[in-house]
Amino acid sequence: MEELLEKLAEILEVDELDGVKKFVDFEEWDSLSSLSVIAMLDADYKMSMSNKELLAYPSINAFCEDVLSRKK
Amino acid sequence: MNLKFHNKKITGILTILPANEIKFEDEMLNYNFTAAKSLKLKMAMGYDTHRVVEGDTCVSDLCVHGMDYLFKNNLLAKDDIDALILVTQSPDHIMPPTSNIIQGRLGLKHDMICLDINQGCAGYVLGLVQAFMLLEQECIRKVVLLNADVLSRKVSKRDRNSNPLIGDAASVTVVEKDSCDSEIFGNIRMDGSRAEALMIPAGGFRLPSSAETAVMEEDPNGNFRSRDHLVMKGDEVFNFVQQEVPPMIEELLQFSSCDKEDVSWYLFHQPNKFMLNKLADKIGIQREKMPANVVEKFGNSSGVTIPVNIAYNLGDTLLREHVKVCMAGFGVGLTWASLLLDIGKLQFNQIINF
Repeated sequence: MEELLEKLAEILEVDELDGVKKFVDFEEWDSLSSLSVIAMLDADYKMSMSNKELLAYPSINAFCEDVLSRKK
Repeated sequence: MNLKFHNKKITGILTILPANEIKFEDEMLNYNFTAAKSLKLKMAMGYDTHRVVEGDTCVSDLCVHGMDYLFKNNLLAKDDIDALILVTQSPDHIMPPTSNIIQGRLGLKHDMICLDINQGCAGYVLGLVQAFMLLEQECIRKVVLLNADVLSRKVSKRDRNSNPLIGDAASVTVVEKDSCDSEIFGNIRMDGSRAEALMIPAGGFRLPSSAETAVMEEDPNGNFRSRDHLVMKGDEVFNFVQQEVPPMIEELLQFSSCDKEDVSWYLFHQPNKFMLNKLADKIGIQREKMPANVVEKFGNSSGVTIPVNIAYNLGDTLLREHVKVCMAGFGVGLTWASLLLDIGKLQFNQIINF
């Protein structure tokens, strides 16, 4: 969980990641950050997700839990 | 679909680029984003300059210019051309076929076949496949494959998703019978159910162009385009490429009993540097073997990025040597197609400006 949160913090350009927030709540969130998350999921977690699916998570924590439970 | 071709070869490639070059920074003010954000995108995706046509330059203009160059320099004789294939998604007119228009403008013989093929990102590969098949006929000895697009004319200048990376280009590839016992392998797949990931919604018969379709609308990301303009769903295209292209390459290599390492160059269609680097990693090859520099210099000219790639990165090498290469195109359709072949000792492999 730590590792994934760190990667997200880097993409979102924040020092501390508030997991209760949604992706769109972050100031730096745009189509490029979305693509960076998607590319990271593909490369490091071997899973693919669309922008639509990313935005559907109620919080970053929910996103992380789901990714880790599906990790191959 | 696994394909095999015997005794066919490419003997020359000429690439035509519009001289008009635009820098990313010079268009930044058109976008609805801060300069800082736009520059971040530039760095991440690998954008810099792109070549686009000016005014109402059409595909036949670029192609005729290239063909005239070859005729003038005695690299091609008019009467030797038995078939003229034009792969394009930006024809001069809905009718007549642009390949016929080019035939007429060049004064080519009547005893020949001209074909327009509506394909994009995988178009160069599909065009080569068509050329190989035509060469099965005894009376067809030389095929000229034209691949050209002027899609910048269909991209909104306020669309930061598409405008920085679009490019225009044309290419002329001469394909002939090979007396040597050569084998070319191919792999083609398509999925029309995901067609809407890359499209121009209006301008055809389903939704004709009108005052309504010309209205500029803002999308959720802050980009502005009309329904007459090209729209690409970046995340869907990324996932499609990562999911479908590696298995296709694997199947191609297996079918041809070729090892990944034995391929000297992976000459792929160029969507952008970001996607190609990720793709090379996924396939498991060194990034150096898959040139990804076309978009940052010239833009993404759809199918034509493959010949641009070959001319820009391999240039004179292909005049002297023979190399084993894997070509692949993937995108609009959705289509994804690849070829494994030896290419080399070309009569010409260069870029000229229009």
